[in-house]
This record gives sequence, structure tokens and C-alpha cells, in this order.
Amino acid sequence: MSPLVAFGRFEVLRLVRSWRFIIITVGFPVVFYMLFLGDHTPSKAVAGTVPWRAYLMVSMCSFGALVAGLTSGGARLSAERASGWARQLRVTPIPTWSYVLTKVSASMLVILPVIILVEIVGATFGGVQLAARIWFELAAVLWVSSVPFAALGVLVGFTVNAETAFATVTGLMFVLGYFGGLFNPVSSMPSVLRSAATALPNYHHDQLGLSLIQGTALGLEHWAVLVAYTAAIALAVMMRHRKEELKGTA
Amino acid sequence: MMRMDSENDGLPQPRTLPSAPPPPLVAPVEPVPALSFRDVSHRYRSHPALDRLTVEILRGQTVALLGPNGAGKSTAIALVLGLISAQEGSVEVLGTDPREAVRQGRVGAMLQTGAGSGLPPNVRVATVLRLVQRLYPSPTPLDETVRSAGIGHLLDRQTDRLSGGQAQLVRFAVAIAGNPELLVLDEPTAAMDVAGQRAFWAMIRQFAQEGRTTVFATHHLREADEIADRVVVVNHGHVVADGPGSSIKAKIAGRRIRFSCSMPDAVLLDSLEGVTDVDLQGTHVWLNSLDSDATVRDLVRHAVQFEDLEVVGPDLQDAYVALTERRPSIERSSTS
Ligand SMILES: Nc1ncnc2c1ncn2[C@@H]1O[C@H](COP(=O)(O)OP(=O)(O)OP(=O)(O)O)[C@@H](O)[C@H]1O
Ligand SMILES: [Mg+2]
Repeated sequence: MSPLVAFGRFEVLRLVRSWRFIIITVGFPVVFYMLFLGDHTPSKAVAGTVPWRAYLMVSMCSFGALVAGLTSGGARLSAERASGWARQLRVTPIPTWSYVLTKVSASMLVILPVIILVEIVGATFGGVQLAARIWFELAAVLWVSSVPFAALGVLVGFTVNAETAFATVTGLMFVLGYFGGLFNPVSSMPSVLRSAATALPNYHHDQLGLSLIQGTALGLEHWAVLVAYTAAIALAVMMRHRKEELKGTA
Repeated sequence: MMRMDSENDGLPQPRTLPSAPPPPLVAPVEPVPALSFRDVSHRYRSHPALDRLTVEILRGQTVALLGPNGAGKSTAIALVLGLISAQEGSVEVLGTDPREAVRQGRVGAMLQTGAGSGLPPNVRVATVLRLVQRLYPSPTPLDETVRSAGIGHLLDRQTDRLSGGQAQLVRFAVAIAGNPELLVLDEPTAAMDVAGQRAFWAMIRQFAQEGRTTVFATHHLREADEIADRVVVVNHGHVVADGPGSSIKAKIAGRRIRFSCSMPDAVLLDSLEGVTDVDLQGTHVWLNSLDSDATVRDLVRHAVQFEDLEVVGPDLQDAYVALTERRPSIERSSTS
């Protein structure tokens, strides 16, 4: 087994084995979705050309991806830094980039089942009806475009310390969720907030899903924003690492 | 002072350094040193941690880096492991760049972790060891690592349910799992009880017998003296003494005798029984002595007119300071 495969396997197994983490990460968006489903207010119907039930499900998929990305990296990674394990790994032959990449990949692996689970809830309790191909494409597109959320979680884990990691993750989750229009359609927001939403990655993530449901083309601008975010976050992780190295605390 | 200088003659040509324990089974055939620091300076923001540190360690040696808190030991180790880059000067490890040596899997390390366990949370000890083993190109068989570190009884434990000393043993196993040529340990026995420490150093001796190079940081002179072939004393980021443990012990472990004397005679004082060092500052005299009783008797015999005589125990902190104050003479001797 090559070192990178061994490390990847180790990370994934460790992630899968922590039940509490899995239940919270996977369960949270689902519970949240259920709460929204119960709250049958008419304002939810104002979702443009998308039926509000489908709209809600896509938003919750997007929210779930965001939550899973943030929690997979976030607190777990900063705990690892605090314990000294991250530093110990740096004195083994595996390069730092592969450590970061493995973390992002492991987060991606957690994101996929979250998206699928929200879809299942949508199809059963949520009253969403879609062609089989759309269900599949929706999961695939939303998953692939979740990379910036996985990267964001890793950035948070690299940046904040173990004590503030949980608060930071929770804060980011709701701020991005709310202003990105995952809880309320962006079209129902005041114009200031509407332009703010278009600057956030999860707004564009959500829009990719909605385009699939509407049957319109996947807007290139959405992909572009998500790729730009991923690049910016990767750069921030690199700068952060460089800074810690200079400070001697990496 | 004279004595000190002669002991430090070995510094620029470390090959001549005496090594107390029997030579390693695998003789260091290659002339490339395991580790070499040349005029390395490092500062954190504006805070200096290393100040023109120069030291060379040959293969097969077991070397202690002895120094008080904040001396720069961990900073030196971070440089050896490529965790930080030298701001000034050069560091070479096993004949190459530190990062390259680490990447090739030739270095194993036990870092100073403060309160942390240094291990990943929520995973079995055996799983961690198996992972680490797979990260190295030619690892030691797992059962051998487990036996060497004496952690057979800990394999099935979760890493976050280990005591401080147990976690340290597991981290030692992590350090040796990859079969490294160079082993670097930063205060490895900090959380261990006395029995644990003794067992630990027995393992290190075993490890050194296999011809590997071991460098460890410690505050404990006794540990350094008992375990290492050579003790490098560091303070304020600089080598202040370097030699076999016995000579270092003579220099810093003895008693300090201090008194005032209107006209101190340095040559006479230096010749007194037990005296290893003389420091004069005006009428204030500090003597380092291996045998304070004999020295005081000799003082009386030579009718030295002392006042306010005090004998102070081996306060390491003072000893380090004393060594640091003598730095210029060491430099003179090592450049000559
Ligand atoms: N990350 C850091 N940021 C700022 N200053 C630091 C940092 N790490 C160490 N220092 C400072 O650099 C100096 C050398 O520290 P270092 O950790 O190398 O000492 P040490 O010999 O290992 O001490 P100890 O025995 O306490 O572990 C100290 O004065 C310390 O305060
Ligand atoms: Mg230290």
C-alpha cells in the first residue's frame, strides 16, 4: 500500500468510525429540512419557476454540503493541530500538500452521503418528484461543486484553535446559509442582501442545483465563482501554513 | 579557564571527541555527519531563539542537547526536522537538506507537545503505528517496534485514553517505527515517572547500539550525562559547552563557592583542590568545585583572606548562566 493510500484510508476510517460526528453531520441537515417541511408558510412558494418543495430540497442539499464540509475539517482538524499530531505528520515522509489534499478528499467523502440522504428525504417526505436522471445529476453536480466547502472546513481547521473552532463552524454555517439564500429565497430578500448573496459560494452552489431542476443550462458563472473560491481558499491555506511556519507554530 | 579551553579543543574537530560507551556495531563509514549546524541564527518575530549556533554531530553518536527553558533546544530540533527554515546559516541532516532527509524517511522524531498527546484522537494505538509504518520506505516490523518501545499492553487502547507517560511511549514507538537513521527526541521523558524514565533510556541505549544517531533535548544534567556520549550545552541559542558528560558535569554540576577577597589571585584559586573554574569580578570570587569541602580546606591552608563565604548547590540555572558568561573564551578557543 502506498503511503498516500495508507494515509487516505486511515483518515477515512477514522472519520467513519466517529459515530457522534457522523450522526451530527448527516443528521443535522436532515432534521433542519424536516423542520422546514413542517413550516408550511406561503412565502416559500415564491421561488421563481421552481416548485417550492424542490426548491427547499435543493437548498437543504446545499446546506448539508456546507455543514458537512465545515464540520469534517473544522474542529477535528484544529483538535489534531492542538494535540501535536499534525506536527508529527510533518516529520514523516508524506508531504504537507498531501495532508491537506487528503483532508479535503475525506470531507468530500462525507458530503456525498449527506446530499443523497437529503434527496431521499425529499423524495419520501418532501413530496419532490423528479426524473431518475435528474436525481442522479443533482447529486453528482452538487457533490462535485462542494469542493470549496470541503476546502473551507480545512481552512477553518488550519486557522482557528480548538476552543473557537466549534463556534466558528456554527457561525459560518448559519451566516453563509442565511445570506446565501438557503433558508429564504434570495428573490425575497432586500436588494442589498441580494447582491451580497451573489458573492457567496453557497448561493452559486444552490443555483447549480436549481438550474438542473428547471432544466436550464448550468450557468458558467456559478462554476466560475466556485472555482475562484476554491482557489482563494487553497491560497489562504498555503499562506496560513507559511505564516505558521515562520512563527514556528506550524 | 585553561582547563575549559583544552576541553573545548575538540569542538572544531569532533572526531577526536571521546565517546564513553562502546563504539556502535555499525561503524560510521561515511564521513558525512549526521547533523551539522553552521552559524545558524533564528528569531521569532524580533525574539532571538538561536544565535550563531554551530555544532556537528557524527553518525552513531548519542548526543544530548542540554539547556534551560527557552535555550533554543526545540528551535534547533525544528530546524533539524525541517519544520522551520534557517533564517541565517545552514543546517544539513544526513548530508542533505533537512526536509529532504525527512522526506526520504531517514529521520524519526518525538516532538515536544506541551499538553497534547501528539497522537490523533479517537483511534487505536495499533492503527496509528500501522499507519506510520506505511509512511516509511523501509520500516521496522511492527512487533519489533512494539517490543522496543515496550507498549504491547497499549496496542488496543484508544489514543485519547492514555496517560501522559504512556502517550510518550507510544510517541517513541511512532518515532522509531520508520527505522530511522537519525532519531531526534525533544524532552522525551518529561511525563514519565522514574521507573519509566529508566526503562526508556535503556531502550534508547539499545537503539544506539544499532549504529544509529540519537539526539535528545533535556534539562536534566544527569540524564544527559548518563545517556549521551556527548553533551552539547545550549543557552541563549548558542553552544556554551560541548564535550563528554563527565567534563560537562565537572563544569556545571559541582558546587559554587562564592566569597569576597580584596586581592584575589586567579592562578592560585584555579590550582585549589576540586576547583574546575574561577570567575573573578573585582573583589567578588566565584569558584566552581567538584569537592567544596576540599576546596574550602585548601583556601584556609593557602591563607586566602576570604569574607562572606557561601557554598551553593548545583543550581543548573546558575550553571547555565555561568557557562554563558564564559562564552567569549569558548569562542576564542574554538576558532584558534
Ligand atoms: N513559536 C514561537 N514564537 C515566539 N517565540 C518563540 C516560539 N517558540 C519559541 N520561542 C522563543 O524562542 C526561545 C527558544 O525557545 P525554544 O522552544 O527553542 O526553547 P527550549 O530550549 O526548547 O525550551 P524548553 O526547555 O522550555 O522547551 C524562547 O525564548 C522562546 O520564548
Ligand atoms: Mg523545548
